[in-house]
Amino acid sequence: MRWRRVAREPLVHFLLGGLAIFALFAARGEPADPSSRTIHLTREDRGRLAVTFEATMERPPTEAELAVLTERWVHDEVLYREALRLGLDQDDPVIRRRLGQKMDVIAASAVDAEEPSDAELARWLASHRSRFARDPALSFDQLYFTDQGAAARAMRALRGGADWRELGSASALPRSLDQASRGDAVDQFGDGLVRSLDALAPGSGWQGPLPSALGWHLVRLRARTDGGLPPLAQIRTRVEDDWRSETEHARQEAAYKVLRDAYRVEIDQ
Amino acid sequence: MKMTRIALGAAVAALALAGCDRSASGDAKAEEDAAAKVRVAEYPERVYWGDTHLHTDNSIDAFGFGARLGPEQALRFARGEKVIASTGTPAQLARPLDFLIIADHAEGLGATRRIFDAPRLLIRDATLRRWHDMMHESPEQSQRAVAELITDAANGKLPASLRDPAARRRATQDIWTRHLETLDRFNEPGKFTALAGFEYSLMPGGNNLHRVVVFRDGIERTSKVLPFPGIDNTPEQLWDYMDAYERKTGGKVLAMPHNANLSNGLMFTLGMPDGKPMTAEYARRRAAHEPVVEATQIKGDSESHPFLSPNDEFASFGVAGWDLGNLPLTAKTTPDMYGGNYVREALKRGLTIEARTGVNPYQFGLVGGTDSHTGLATADEDNFFGKHTGVEPSPHRVMDPVNLGTDAGRFGYHYLAGGYAGVWARANTRAEIFDALARREVYASTGPRMTVRLFGGFDFTEKDFDGSGWVRAGYTRGVPMGGVLADGGKAPVFMIEAMKDPRGANLDRVQVVKGWTDASGAAHEKVFDVAWSDPDKRHVTGGKVPAVGDTVDRARATYTNTIGAQQLRKLWRDPEYRAGQRAFYYVRVIEIPTPRWVLYDAVRYRLKLPPDVIAGGVSQERAYSSPIWLEPKAAAR
Repeated sequence: MRWRRVAREPLVHFLLGGLAIFALFAARGEPADPSSRTIHLTREDRGRLAVTFEATMERPPTEAELAVLTERWVHDEVLYREALRLGLDQDDPVIRRRLGQKMDVIAASAVDAEEPSDAELARWLASHRSRFARDPALSFDQLYFTDQGAAARAMRALRGGADWRELGSASALPRSLDQASRGDAVDQFGDGLVRSLDALAPGSGWQGPLPSALGWHLVRLRARTDGGLPPLAQIRTRVEDDWRSETEHARQEAAYKVLRDAYRVEIDQ
Repeated sequence: MKMTRIALGAAVAALALAGCDRSASGDAKAEEDAAAKVRVAEYPERVYWGDTHLHTDNSIDAFGFGARLGPEQALRFARGEKVIASTGTPAQLARPLDFLIIADHAEGLGATRRIFDAPRLLIRDATLRRWHDMMHESPEQSQRAVAELITDAANGKLPASLRDPAARRRATQDIWTRHLETLDRFNEPGKFTALAGFEYSLMPGGNNLHRVVVFRDGIERTSKVLPFPGIDNTPEQLWDYMDAYERKTGGKVLAMPHNANLSNGLMFTLGMPDGKPMTAEYARRRAAHEPVVEATQIKGDSESHPFLSPNDEFASFGVAGWDLGNLPLTAKTTPDMYGGNYVREALKRGLTIEARTGVNPYQFGLVGGTDSHTGLATADEDNFFGKHTGVEPSPHRVMDPVNLGTDAGRFGYHYLAGGYAGVWARANTRAEIFDALARREVYASTGPRMTVRLFGGFDFTEKDFDGSGWVRAGYTRGVPMGGVLADGGKAPVFMIEAMKDPRGANLDRVQVVKGWTDASGAAHEKVFDVAWSDPDKRHVTGGKVPAVGDTVDRARATYTNTIGAQQLRKLWRDPEYRAGQRAFYYVRVIEIPTPRWVLYDAVRYRLKLPPDVIAGGVSQERAYSSPIWLEPKAAAR
């Protein structure tokens, strides 16, 4: 399994990516040496020009059009090489940034195509629990009051055996939540009250008055189910997504770091 | 021009180098199964919050302004994760949203990114090449390039490669498909809803006729069409496109006009677009396709204007600066145009047109949105990431002019922090959120997540209203916001409740805004204060409830909830009902004064701002419910 670890090394990807680009250029007959004064356009090269034309125009180019395309390509290539000879690629912010982007793309390209195994994603899931853990689910009854005094009186009435459904002031707030996620409860009642609920034991009867951002409450926590981590199969796309975007970024950073370490930067003050 | 198209095609091909496509994981069947497992309530029990109008770097202008966050980061951010904004600042919402509609411009979808990414040598079109260079030169130059692009788009002078349908189709297909795949990956029925949409940005002469178009469906349907750009056409052609989508796929789609305030009177015309009297057929089509209007967003508020509503002391929210002219400020707005620019007037015009034709073209509900071009759906004043990346948090954004290179009266401080949409849906799924929009059971907020409940009927009593079953009574014996009541010869009664945002400011008051037509067909309006905080101390004088007070500390951008109420409720019967009257009623909930983003910026960056800007740094945020209409018996549906 040693080679697998090697295969995951960002630097290896980076070097392989570079090699692939080099091989691509070599295979296409692109001169690796831009200072050469021979421009060799293969049939494949002309084929590519034709295909690009067709992709846009929805028909193949005529012979005359292909000749124009070819001539234009040669024209650009000549100027391109002469520009390199004159060093015009130096100090050009556009070229500088574009080449930098290409380096980033190469560093991350392997991740884009990679299909992570279940085992790999399971490890990812386990090491990033907090991102994927389900909220605890809460089931509780709730009575709402705009003032503390009314809430306290209702509490006394409950202790005296009053029916809870007859108490509390009317509001758009739900009187009961069943298996609601903790986040759902926070959305509707605010942080404060739900933190009070966190401290209660299920089945401990009516409690309160408890304050919230909205007023006063009496609450009865019926059940709390811990969220825990869902099985990978249920959230595979989400985990893969997370793995991919973070790995992409990490590899770009790692590749940069390897390159950066070879530099000494001197900054005049 | 041929060569330009080839150039852009080649640029896309070059990008494909970045890696092979991953196959779509949005299996339609799996999605339906997941949606089927979600509990759907008998009636809407809670409000879901979302942004109906967000742009990412796929929008031609957003990218040019420097946005580098795509749909994926936008969705991560909306569901509560931390992301890094394009300018490098970490960004996170204090509370996640429940749903998001990404509405990138259909016009030249992804084009700026392609211009930016294209190897310069391959761009033959001189204008495109110049824009390419400007985008790479500096953020300021990039913004100039986009400003030129928007102006050219407004004047129909975009380079042909950006206008040409065939070239566009090819370029758009790729981006749209990827986008839909991303949405399906992030859509989690019951937890977070990602709806597909786009913005149709029609802008004749710079007059804003934009619509957000939103789909109910997943990729198996939405991939059968491409976004429809607002270039050289009319909204009627957009409706044709929508009809074609529904016929072809069996799916559903609706459109939401926005920034009526920048339309120079064109958004809500009394007649047809060509000035002739409006036909019933046109009115019917408009109402059927556009059931919701975005009433408030970063580029101002379109609910009301003090010129139209001189007796409404709260009518000037988010009006300043924006009421000077159209979107690019190429044409001034004159008072005769206001009527077509603001929602309340449009609702009134709808009644007038209905009295004449039998159909109300402007029977729409209200939502709020951000229209943020940063990929970040922020609407909270203390967390404002700006209209676009050029005005992400910085010390100069308050005083920068909105239209670069001009000082024509629209400045950074005129931007609002943006709004959200509150949706009364039975569950958090695409189908339920969409259906709530379609039936107008939605409301607009200028940012705070206050809960607003509204039911209209004829026989609600105090006993109903004060009992624990009042919501059920509302649904079974009346209609919720967005509904229509048939006049039964009795004054309508409304059950109204507003609850403050659990993380926000207390409430000042709840108002009912009524509009009606008299026997001659002329429209009128009146604002009723129906519930307010501390009624024992705040007595109505001269027909008005006195101001609630102000706790904002200007020097520190803080406020306290020592004034105002947490909950306001009222069973309200229209005291001015006349039998046979056509009317609408919507609720406006007003918060106590709080600091605007401008004040937070002033404190954060220790700015010395002009006194009038500081004075405008405090506002009373608000919510607008969708109306309930009262129609003569025969007309009501």
